[in-house]
Amino acid sequence: MTVPVADAPPQPSTKFIYGMRDQFFDALYEIAQTDRDLVLISADNGAPTMDQFVDNLPGQFYTVGIAEQQMIGMACGMATEGKMVYTYAIAPFVTTRVHEQNKLDICAMNLPIVNLGVGAGYAYDIMGPTHHTVEDITIMRVLPNLTVFSPADGVTAGALAEISYRLRSPQYIRFDRSGIPDIYTGWDLDFEEGLIETRRGADVCLVATGIMVHQALEVADALAERGVQAAVVDLFRLKPINEQKLLSILARFSKVVTLEEHLLAGGMGSALAEIFVDRGVTTPLLRIGQNDRFVFELGGREVIWEKSGLDVPGILRQIDDWSRERGLA
Amino acid sequence: MDRFADLRAKAHWVRQKVLDMAVRVHSGHISTAYSQCELLVALYLGGILRYDPADDLWDGRDRFILSKGQGGIGLYPVLAQAGFFPVEHLDHFTGRGSHLGVHAEWQIPGVEVLTGSLGHGLPIATGKAQALLNDGKDNLVFCLLGDGELHEGSNWEAALFAGHQGYENLICIVDRNNQATLGKLDSYDSRRDGPGLNPLGDKFRAFGFEVREIDGHSFEEIFDCFADLRDRRGTGKPLFVVSNTLKGKGLSLMEDQRMWHYRVPAGADLERCLAEIGSPADVAELSTPSASY
Repeated sequence: MTVPVADAPPQPSTKFIYGMRDQFFDALYEIAQTDRDLVLISADNGAPTMDQFVDNLPGQFYTVGIAEQQMIGMACGMATEGKMVYTYAIAPFVTTRVHEQNKLDICAMNLPIVNLGVGAGYAYDIMGPTHHTVEDITIMRVLPNLTVFSPADGVTAGALAEISYRLRSPQYIRFDRSGIPDIYTGWDLDFEEGLIETRRGADVCLVATGIMVHQALEVADALAERGVQAAVVDLFRLKPINEQKLLSILARFSKVVTLEEHLLAGGMGSALAEIFVDRGVTTPLLRIGQNDRFVFELGGREVIWEKSGLDVPGILRQIDDWSRERGLA
Repeated sequence: MDRFADLRAKAHWVRQKVLDMAVRVHSGHISTAYSQCELLVALYLGGILRYDPADDLWDGRDRFILSKGQGGIGLYPVLAQAGFFPVEHLDHFTGRGSHLGVHAEWQIPGVEVLTGSLGHGLPIATGKAQALLNDGKDNLVFCLLGDGELHEGSNWEAALFAGHQGYENLICIVDRNNQATLGKLDSYDSRRDGPGLNPLGDKFRAFGFEVREIDGHSFEEIFDCFADLRDRRGTGKPLFVVSNTLKGKGLSLMEDQRMWHYRVPAGADLERCLAEIGSPADVAELSTPSASY
């Protein structure tokens, strides 16, 4: 067996930058100060903005150590006693690792527990499949009673603190890592709607979630240079999808493309395809995401995107090929 | 005079009822219901647990979690006797419109949480213990596990955490019948036998629990063990009780025998069982629970 030689020097890893998770924790901290029954449980995962819970709110913060089954079970026990519980770990460890606890200890009893997962998609790029979280949308959206959020920026993440608190129901929020620029600063938005028409367009609508909203905006810029007006919809609530609002937007387009940093099987694109079939929508739909494979490529998130067709040229190429094969303008 | 005579009669009725319920629908875990029988009768009908059958969510109740959810068939007759729902409901076990399924479900009056998948009860119990302590309440949290259930790793995550937190209001009881579904525990005469647990008490002692061991079929030992439950404040330790039992206790056909985990006797087997324990008596003939033992 030959060992491949690295074709580029390693890039320095990301420094701590105040990110969407921190905007969420800061907003949640404001609420937690007014409600002593709001509890945060961590499985040995931290954040500078989490420290204010640790330092200032005794009885409202626990760490169970690296024991996610215990974290969800404990959250269940506390929720059955009237607490509103947030659990926190790296995204795979509040989803795939504890799927049965999520199913039985949270969803089946319809308890007010919010799983917070940091590092959606390939956010933990160089950490390999153990830390990549590209199947969580699929396995979480199948759980009855669960609401799933996938914010694209810190403004949305901050708003989800209040929204999740008011919902008092089973929820999962998948955050990206820090360093993602905000999109919606200063926008007047109703986050209860579950989606945002981030950019208006006429020719094709790109529906994206999480980090891929940023990618969709770049793709839209590239298409604009060719005279194609692409709209971008940020679908940040993946379950339940606001079908009425989404379909009213999509009705204006002759082509729809979904973009997700996630396996195609059962993900956001699949959810849209289900809606299309169930509602008799026949607009051509292209799903772009990760194919049926694990990713071991190193070099960073952009390398993964490049090798998976999720970089801007790759996305444009897929849209072009599809349009040509389908005879779409 | 036998001071536990009425509890023995009730336990006998529970065994009769469990067999009757299982035979009616040809389903249900008889042998596990028989091993936990005296313990549940003592807890609910012997005045150990605090509860109000008229208000199953009464704030002052102790929390009891049947982590070995397959024991539901043995819990329901006890809850019915305690007054949580009419005894007649037992005759519709698992039937259309019934609330009594094979595994204990949270909608049943007197049942705290959904169980049936093993290894969930103890982590949940730690959350309840913590929440009750935070609220300054003195309610106790009981969690009954099967010994085979201890193969599930989540229990050990919970035990580590419970010992670390020192939950004095948590009582973890293991129905130590030395059998799982297929295999035996701590005796190896077949390749079906899974990992043993001994020394079980030492394991939990090392995790920071106070450990007690009883004969789980002896009312004397059960009441002695639980006499000081509300005086444990200051110990800084959760309590772990090894309740030594026989799976299928009371029926010679299945007592400590393999292959009766989820099997209902029929034909000559059933006749033999009925000859040993009889059909359920009229519950009205049983005395009302005494205040203390």
